[in-house]
Parts: sequence; C-alpha cells; structure tokens
Amino acid sequence: MAKYIESSSGSDFMVDALKSVGFDYIAATPGSSFRALQESFVNYGNNTKPEWLTTTHEENSIAMSQGYAKVEGKPILNLVHASVGLQHASMALYNAYADRVPIFVVTANITDGVLRRPGIETDHTAQDSAVITRDFTKWDDSPGSLQHFAESTVRGYRIAMTPPMGPVVLVADSAIQEEPMLDRASLMIPKLSNFSPAQGDSGAVAELARRLVEAESPVILADRGIPGPNGVFLHLIELAELLQCPVIDMGGRLNFPNRHPLNQSLNRASVISQADFLLGLDMTDFWGATHAYHDQIHRTSHSLLKPGAKTASITSTDQFIKANYQNFQRYLDVDIEISGDAAATLPSLIEAVKRVIDPRYKSSFEARGKKLATAHQASIDRIKTAATAGWDVTPISTARMCMEIWNQIKDEDYSLLTGNPFFSGPWAHTLWNMDKPYRFLGDQGAFGMGYTTPAAVGAALANRKYGRLSVAITGDGDFMVSPGSLWTAAKHKIPLLLIVHNNRSYFQELMHVQTMASRHVRNIHTARIGTELSDPSIDFAKLAQSMDVHGEGPITDPADLGPALQRAIAVVKKGAPALVDIIAQGR
Amino acid sequence: MNRIICAVILAAALTACAEAQAQTSTNPRTEGDAKAGERLFMTDGCSECHGTVGQGGGVNGPRIAPMELNYDAFKQELRTPLSEMPPFEEAVVPETDASDIYAYLKSIPASRPFKDIPLLND
Repeated sequence: MAKYIESSSGSDFMVDALKSVGFDYIAATPGSSFRALQESFVNYGNNTKPEWLTTTHEENSIAMSQGYAKVEGKPILNLVHASVGLQHASMALYNAYADRVPIFVVTANITDGVLRRPGIETDHTAQDSAVITRDFTKWDDSPGSLQHFAESTVRGYRIAMTPPMGPVVLVADSAIQEEPMLDRASLMIPKLSNFSPAQGDSGAVAELARRLVEAESPVILADRGIPGPNGVFLHLIELAELLQCPVIDMGGRLNFPNRHPLNQSLNRASVISQADFLLGLDMTDFWGATHAYHDQIHRTSHSLLKPGAKTASITSTDQFIKANYQNFQRYLDVDIEISGDAAATLPSLIEAVKRVIDPRYKSSFEARGKKLATAHQASIDRIKTAATAGWDVTPISTARMCMEIWNQIKDEDYSLLTGNPFFSGPWAHTLWNMDKPYRFLGDQGAFGMGYTTPAAVGAALANRKYGRLSVAITGDGDFMVSPGSLWTAAKHKIPLLLIVHNNRSYFQELMHVQTMASRHVRNIHTARIGTELSDPSIDFAKLAQSMDVHGEGPITDPADLGPALQRAIAVVKKGAPALVDIIAQGR
Repeated sequence: MNRIICAVILAAALTACAEAQAQTSTNPRTEGDAKAGERLFMTDGCSECHGTVGQGGGVNGPRIAPMELNYDAFKQELRTPLSEMPPFEEAVVPETDASDIYAYLKSIPASRPFKDIPLLND
C-alpha cells in the first residue's frame, strides 16, 4: 500500500549535519533536485543559522559566498541545482579557486536510474556530476548514505577552510534526501574540531630570519593569503617595522596599510630591482611580480632582479596544486621555499627576527626606514599630481570619481570591493585611507566576468552586522552579467553602495581589438563592433529602480557627483542598497 | 594592484623621457589644427588608453598631456613605440592627422597643483 506521508526524511538529517559546521546563511537559486533539503531548511531548520537568501543565478550564489568569505573568513552554504545549476556555478567556482577562498557547495543527483522521474529529472542527472568542476575544486564527494553525508560534510568544511582555502562540492543524492529516515539514533555527526593551518619549518624560518636581518636591501611582497580578519595584515606591520624594510602589497588582499611609510607599492619596480633579498608571502605570481613583460608582437620579458639577489617564499599553495588550469603561473626559481601558511608562520618568523637583531643593526635600520618614508611620501605626491589631470572633464575622470566617493565616506567605517581594481585607476588603493584588512577585498581571482555585484552583496552581508558602510565599484559590462544580485540585496535588506563605472563598453576588450587593428595596419574604428554597450545605452538607475533599489544617474557632470552620492549613502545607512551610475572615462 | 603600479611607473618613465627630449628639441612643430586633432584623438584609438584629455588611463596608457615631447619624438613614439603602445602607421594615422593630434595635445593646459584641489588633500 502506498505511503502518503512521513514524519521525517533524510534531508532533515542532512540539515542537522550542515548546521553542525556553523553556516550563517544559504545562498541559493531554487532547484527541484534539492526540494527536500530546501523544505527541511525552512521548516525543520526554522530558516535560522543558516538563513535562506534567494539568488537569481548560481554564479551569483557562489560569488556572494566568495565576497562574504573575504570579510568573514568562512563561507556561506551554496545549494545549486543538479547538473545545470553546477554548470551555472562553475565559472564563479573557478574565480574562488584562483582567489584561494573557501566555498562549500551542495548539489544534487539521482544515482539510481530506476527512481528518476522521466524527462527533466533524467536530464538533470549525471554519472559523475562533480566532474565538471573537479579541475578547480579542492575536493568533492557523492555520499551513498546519510552517515556518509555527515562525515563528508565535516571533512569537506575542514578541507575548504585549510590553507590554501578553496571550493568543495558535496553531492546530496535526491533519493537519499527524500527517503524516510528509519533510524536517526544510529546516525552520528562528527564534531568539527579546532584545526590549525600549517606553519613553516622552524629551521627554515630561522634561516630566513637571519637572511632578512643581514640583507642590505630586503623587501617583502604579499599577495593572496587566507581571507578575512586572520590574514597577514597585523603580523606584517610588526615584521616590517622590526626590519624597517619596504613592503609591496600585490593586492590579492589588503595586506598592509596603504599609508604606512614602509608601503612601497607605488615604487615596486625600483624597490625590487634594488633588493638583494626578496620574501614573497602567499604569492600567486611571484615570477610576474619580479619580471617585466612586454605584450608586443614578439612577446618578451626580462627579470627585474639584480644579479645575485636571493628570493624566499612562504606559501601553502604548493601543498595543493592541480594540473589543468594554469593559474599557478610561471615558475620562479626561489632560493628558500617554505611550505606553510604565511599568516600562521609570521609570528614565529617575527620571534626569530627578534632573536637575530642586535644593536649593531639599529642605525642602519633607522636610516633605511627614513629613506623609505621619504620615498613613500614622494610616491603619494606623484599619484596626487597624476590625479589632477582631467579633474573637471566630462566624461568624469576615474580619479575624480574615486575621490568624490572618498569625500563622502572618509569618516565612515567603510569596506571596498572592486572586481578589477585597476579598471577604475589606482586612486582608491593609493589615496583612500586603507588601515584595516576589510578596507579593500582584493579582486576576483581569475578575472571571470560578473563577479563584482554579487560578491559585493556577499561582502555587504558580512559587513552588515559590524555596521560598516559597504562600497563597491563595478564596470558596466561586469554588472550586466549579474544584475539580478541587486534584487537579492533589496530582498534581504543588505545595505550596499554600488557604483557603476560606466564607460558604455567592454572597454578592456575594445583596447585589445584596437591594438590588433593597429598592428595589422587596418581600420581602428571597427574595434567598437562587438565591444560597445551603447545604442541603446543602458539606464542603470532605472534598472535598479525596477528592483526597488535606489538609483541615481546617469551622472555626467562631476559637480553632480557629490549630491548624488550623499542621497545614495543616506539610503544605504537606512539598511538598503543604492546604485549610482557614473559616466566616466574608460580608465 | 600590481598592474596599476606598473602603469604608474611606466607613466613616470615616459614623463622623464619626455622632459629630457623636450630640452633637446630642435624641430618643434606647432602648425597642426588642434580642433581637428581633438576629433581625431577621440576617434583614432588614442583617447581610449590615454584618456580624452591625455590624462592617462591607469594600466593602459601613460599621461601624455601637456605634451612635452618635440614633434619628431612624438612621431617616433607614434610610429615605432618604445612602450607597449601599438604602432600607428602612416596608413592608419597620416602625417597631417599626426600633426593635428600633436597640436591638440600641445593645446591642453597643465592641470592645477594637487594642493589646490581640496579632495586631494584629505
């Protein structure tokens, strides 16, 4: 006799398991393959810890989680539909993988072909559903039982959160979700115990400390360590001040205060070329940082390092690397390679440096520090002078755009997220006061389009509980990939000031095509075919308003920027998103 | 951020180069049509990388206004660039157009000192 009701099914236990690792939110676009899990989360789980957030695309879900993790240091749960949902999610997963950010995805499948509903459910089933993302995830599993699911949940969370952090995918079989749970008492959820990232070998750290202290011109470069509040930021200040040595922030995270006199990021080439000892922390492209590359017909490069310069690296990336996608970049022949997480290793390195430093270094370190402070101030004056060019022109200069924003937020506890930091110029990263790790949240990781808005919504979600003012700058092309994420912000009352840097084109690609036309001595004007986002121009303010989001613009006159930003920020401070569309120079 | 910084460094290097060449200029050319040059600058693939008033475009093109190169040096950089700028051959930018573009860049006044702009002093 057919059974029509059941008091509980496997999905309830899955919710227990997923709750046990401490997710605060779920970001998901609904899909019938996880209908049981969804119902269990909102009824059995009371829609709290995690709370359900509705997204309009699986790519948005993942990017939201990436942005959230870059503030909070841990992921939100992503549920994605079987096969097609994971396919949608895949590009965002690659971004997160390249960005070394923890992501936890649960997707679905129906392994037993006899149980599948004919038609759609079979279309949405794969023999090995996680294979399409396996090249850029740390781990995946397809549990065959509820007990297996619980163990893989805890295992997967630990894997995602262990440096180098990255995405994991867990496949929750739809049949197991929906089958009655016969013996709950026999099921056990493993505890999520405390775990620590690996530190570098103590002997190698001692040798590194000696080399740093004895070097005449050491320099520290920092890039893409663990995201969130536990990165290298505070340790790196202490280490740099001990050594009075320059720091170059490569920008994968905010690794070092931009106004610190030892910050020599604007003098990168000269500092690197004069260094006799270079230490890279969590570098994703140490070779690229130490070489100049020329994108001409005959592509060439040369090393910036002076003869005899030595290099050292602390990174956990070499503990986990995959073959297919080449985001591991070119190989640099490093002299001292320390395998371990940089943030976890810096405290012992600092202590080792303290043991090596003796009074004879005092005067030379002080002199070095004074020289670097002078160079830092000169570099800031140069960038300010550069910012003056075109200050009053229309389209609005990127410098004017960024400094008008800064003028409105400089007294706020702000947090900035941008997709392509260099697309809107160097102004925010050099002229805003970035004195806390969350002031700037790095880039996409793999430069996949459509990241900025959903990632900003995720970051703003994390910032909300701290009362921070979340600001994001997106390009118009990037925004058009994922505008639906703005609706998610409106729906769930996530306060975010979203600036659209509107150059009415896929500007980077426009320049690339122009370059090719120029090389071929052919018509340059046709480069706009396929790269323009005009005729018709997009009214981003109206697009925002259609989702009940405050929209300003298009702003064309620089004098109108300040008042428009003030109105938008007033809305954000009331707990809602707002968009300001600024017609600006291409770069 | 590293790419931004590369561009800033490149811009600084070109500015230094320009200053050096300006001092040794023996053949200044000023007869181009600045108005025509402005139009060409917007349509011939200059303004995208260098900005509409030559202010520079971050990673993509250095600041080139006020133009400090003499005309011969400007044209040499246009035809056979030392930087990563693509070459603009005669067939793409004829001599008269190059002259007009040069005149436009020469006509762009220097910007105010940053100390005179309040937003750059916070």
